[in-house]
Formats: sequence, structure tokens, C-alpha cells
Amino acid sequence: MESGCDRERLCDFAFDELAAPARAEMERHLAGCAACATELAQLQLTTAALRVLPDREIPQRIAFVSDKLFQPSPVVRFFSSFWNSGARLAFASACVLAAAIVFSAYRRPAETQSHPQSVVTAGMTRDELSHEMDARINKAVSDAVARVHQEDARVTKAALESADRKAEQQRRELMVAMGEQMNTLQKRLGVLTEYAMAGPERNAGTGQ
Amino acid sequence: MIFRAVEDADLIVRARRGDVEAFNLLVSRWEKRVFNYLLRLTGSPDDSLDLSQDVFLKAYQNIRKLDDPARFGPWLFRIAHNEACSDFRKRRPEPHEDAAALADREAAPGIALDLSLAVSTALDRLTAEQREAVVLKVYQGFKFEEIAEILGAPVSTVKSRLYTALGLLKEELAPANKRGTK
Repeated sequence: MESGCDRERLCDFAFDELAAPARAEMERHLAGCAACATELAQLQLTTAALRVLPDREIPQRIAFVSDKLFQPSPVVRFFSSFWNSGARLAFASACVLAAAIVFSAYRRPAETQSHPQSVVTAGMTRDELSHEMDARINKAVSDAVARVHQEDARVTKAALESADRKAEQQRRELMVAMGEQMNTLQKRLGVLTEYAMAGPERNAGTGQ
Repeated sequence: MIFRAVEDADLIVRARRGDVEAFNLLVSRWEKRVFNYLLRLTGSPDDSLDLSQDVFLKAYQNIRKLDDPARFGPWLFRIAHNEACSDFRKRRPEPHEDAAALADREAAPGIALDLSLAVSTALDRLTAEQREAVVLKVYQGFKFEEIAEILGAPVSTVKSRLYTALGLLKEELAPANKRGTK
């Protein structure tokens, strides 16, 4: 063998265990090294001879896991099938719902204590409570109606004011137009009067 | 590469959840390889079948301990290796069928009987460790890292065993190869 020959790397090459760069390098080396090429050929011949012995068929199938002996217990199978079914989702949903109910139940009294007004109402009789509620409702309705009336009045007043402004504007424009027409008529009347008065003097002049 | 509708990793995930049929499918995919691996170590079909049974039972019991489903092959052969070692330690070496009988039954049609016999004889002359390295590399096609994982030995040790074994086999098989290639 030449210097640079590496039997281990040659074997790695034969079993396709070299990375691409090392493989390319070995191919270049083999092209110029007859000793390594011969060694590789012998190695390939040996492995080919070993593969003459084929795999044998197994005389008996191995399927023991199907036997009930090796299966999980009925309890384990029940829980396994349970967790692998749609019931898991339903169960999880029920757990979330139950947790929400419990949380709500524990949280509600704390909320009522935080409102003193509710404590006062809790001491009232049913009629008093009803009366109080009616009064509150009536007051709320009255307030709402008053607010609506107030808003209506404001809108109506604004509309009237706007209409007044428009009418005043139109009246002024009409007065201006009438004044202009009066001026025009007066000017025409003046012209006609002058023409009428100048007529006899013109006739006397032509009779001389 | 053979196309598989369901990958081994998917079957392992299902088997971990207790899906027996998924594990049975894994067994059907791997039983022949495991059996032949054990057969080449023990030389006895009956022992290999019993050991294969034990291997798959242990695999089923410990499938949840498999960290990476992609490493199922080396993990399974690691169990097979341990079972074979344990079996060797428990029982005294019994005379298995001789290499000639084994070669006679294993010989592929059309292949010269003397080459098969020579191969079987040559494999028998290797040490158990060398033979196992050859079986895992040449017959099972594992990578060196996978073989190291199966045997629980460094990659360098695996390579050393394999290359020594191949050197010996080359010497043993040279005459048979010459006859077989004629």
C-alpha cells in the first residue's frame, strides 16, 4: 500500500459510512492506488459471499400480544378506551363547567358583601322591596321621559329659530327687489314725462 | 425503500397508548429480522424462536421507556442482544446443528453448496463478538453508531471487531470464492 492508505477508511467506504467529501477523496485515492482498489474488491467479494446465506422465514408467527394474557386488565382497557373516545371531551367539558359553578358559588357571597346597598335591601320585606323597585322604576321612567321632552323642546326651538331666520332673510331679499323695481319704474316715468313736455315746443319750432 | 402507509414511529405512539394491534403490526414487520439475528448468534431455530418471543414481550412491556421512536430498531436489537447474552450465560453451550446442516438448509437455490458451507464454517470460527458485529453490519445493515448502541460498546470497538472479522473471513473464504466465481 502507498502512504496515505487507510484500511479503516477503506472499510468505511465499502459500507457507505463516509461523508460525501471523504467519499470523494477516497474515490480519487482509489483511482490512483492499485493496492487499495484490490483490497476494496476483496472486501466486497467477502461481503457478497457472506450474503449467500439468505434470511430464513420464521417458522411460527409471533403474535402473543393478541393473547388476553398479555392484554391490559379490563379496568385499564376501560379507561384506555374511555380516554381515547369522544367521552374524553365531554368529561373535560363537564369538569370545566363544574369548576366554573364551584368558583361562581364561592365568589358570589363576596360580591354581595361588597355592596352595602344590597345589605339594606336584604333586610326589607317583600312588599317594601316591591314598592321600592316600583318607585325606582317610575323614577327612572320619569327621568327618561323628561330627558326626551327636554330634547324635543330643544330641537323644536332650534327648528323655529332656523325657520324665523330664513323668513327674515327672504323678507329682506323681497324688500330689496321691490325697492329696485320701484326705482326702475320711477326712472321710466321721469323719461316719459320729459318727453311729453318737450312735444309742443318741438311742434312750434317747426311751424315758423 | 419500501413504502409503508403507517410509519413505525406512528405505530409506536399508538402502542404506547395500549393499542395492541399497532404493536402486533410492529412485530410482523420486525420478527423475521430479529429471528434471523438470533439464529445467526445461537445457530438454533428453536432457541431463536423462543428468544424472539421473549424479545417482543419485553419490548411490549417497556415500549413506554423508548425515548425516541425513530430509534426503535436499535432499541429492539439491544433487547435481543441482551436476551441472547443472558441465554448464553444461563445455559451451558449445547451442540447445535452443525454448520453443514445449517448451510444445507440456508443455501439459496442455484448457489453452490460448498460456498454456503464455507460461509457457515467461517462464521462459526469467529468469536461471538466478531460474529455479532458481522451479523449486525452485513446481514442487518445497521450503521456503526446503531451497532454501538445495540452492543453497548464504543464505535471504535465495533469497527475493530468487524474489520478483524472481515480480515479472517477473507482468508477463510478466499478458496471458496475462487471456486464460487469460476
